[in-house]
Amino acid sequence: MSSRVPVIVMELPERLGHVEGKSFLAELQPLLEIDRPRIVLDCSQLQQIDSAGIEALLHSMEEAMKRDGDLKLAAVSPASAAILELMRVDRLFEVFETAEQAVQSFHAIAAPEPPQSLPWYSGYGLADLKSAS
Amino acid sequence: MVAGAEHKPVGSAAPQGAGRESIFAGPLACVDILGRSLTERTIDRFLEADVELVSVLVPEQNLPGCSFSCASEKVKAHAVSNIWSAIGQELERFSQIGIEHAFVSSANLYIDADVLDLFYFHRESRRAATRGLDREGPLELWMIDCAKAREFDIENLLKQTDVIATTYFVGAYVNQVAHPRDLRRLVSDSLRGRCAMRPVGREIKPGIWVGEGAEIHRRSRVVAPAYIGSASCVGENTLVTRFSNIERDCYVDYGTAIEDSSILANTHVGIWLELSHAVAHGNMLMSLGRDVLLEISDPSVLRSNGSVRGDLIRGISYRDEALCGIAEEKSPDLVAQKSWQLRANPIQG
Repeated sequence: MSSRVPVIVMELPERLGHVEGKSFLAELQPLLEIDRPRIVLDCSQLQQIDSAGIEALLHSMEEAMKRDGDLKLAAVSPASAAILELMRVDRLFEVFETAEQAVQSFHAIAAPEPPQSLPWYSGYGLADLKSAS
Repeated sequence: MVAGAEHKPVGSAAPQGAGRESIFAGPLACVDILGRSLTERTIDRFLEADVELVSVLVPEQNLPGCSFSCASEKVKAHAVSNIWSAIGQELERFSQIGIEHAFVSSANLYIDADVLDLFYFHRESRRAATRGLDREGPLELWMIDCAKAREFDIENLLKQTDVIATTYFVGAYVNQVAHPRDLRRLVSDSLRGRCAMRPVGREIKPGIWVGEGAEIHRRSRVVAPAYIGSASCVGENTLVTRFSNIERDCYVDYGTAIEDSSILANTHVGIWLELSHAVAHGNMLMSLGRDVLLEISDPSVLRSNGSVRGDLIRGISYRDEALCGIAEEKSPDLVAQKSWQLRANPIQG
């Protein structure tokens, strides 16, 4: 069965600190509890981030991955990118220039559905293997 | 030979860099680069050329954070309100005491050319002033005839190149350090051997220069070429690589990687960080790759070593300070820049 979970785009607030991080997590938590959550965080409005904000992002990604989902970042400003790089968390997130690109990336990596008309064993057969050897 | 050298303000000499260099607590000319500031290196250069007097003119607005050391009695420093009139007065004073020619140079300017050659060229030209010039345009370097200069307005004389002034082409290495990016280029070029500037210290392995009293943990990795300044400490499991320089009295803590970056004097870099294509000084970090300035308010991430000592004396806990928050100081030069604050280090929990 193929995944049809929609990609959720969420806009981060202007500041992501201790207080904002808590409310952000509270808002995001229900979305993380679905099966294979696919979330894009739009950082275009984000102006300030502190370690509590980074922790909130890491926690969200961890929760998403626990349920076989993923969390991606979009429109990260140079300053926030520099912070992520300094704290060595930049490599943990997939970052895209725009939210649209991030959404597209989820569709791009979705496994192609096998054609229903053919049985699962209709690929190479034993004869092919014998001829190859 | 008679000569004098003046220290021009870094701000007016390179206005495009003035906003950025104010990040680093004083003019870039006074920032140690591979163990010695450009001001000190410029003074040394003129003293080696056996000049009679060196006047260092420091604009009053640049006085905070401006310091240099020089043991020679030939060197005098003056705080001035107007750099151009101060240069004019100094040249007049030189003329009165019998000095015929004077060099005028920005302390930001690093140049490998022979200043004596400039002097001989100027003397033969018989003009009031000769200005240095390289492929990219005029340099903040002049040779002045002190007596003839009295007949002209000094600012006009230094800025124009017509019948009263001429130009001298400099084909050697030149770096007008006006931006932290130029500082990085100078460090890189010096460590590569592209210019004559040499680090202050010992070369303990090919390409690895270490200042006096520096400590490098045996489980750290320093990849040549690199520079570790005097009394600096490079902690366990750290990596210093790609032409990075760590100036004096710095501390690089556990697991941190410094790549193609400059850690300026008295800076403490916290654990498990990655500084790449950056210049750090105190709690300020300029990311050159992204062209952004960050103010890090969490002292466990980035801080000035000087402030640590001061605060420890006062008995202030850094954890407490981090919880209370640190007052944000916005530089008027950074109108377009946004202030970024980082508090507790999540890596430390």
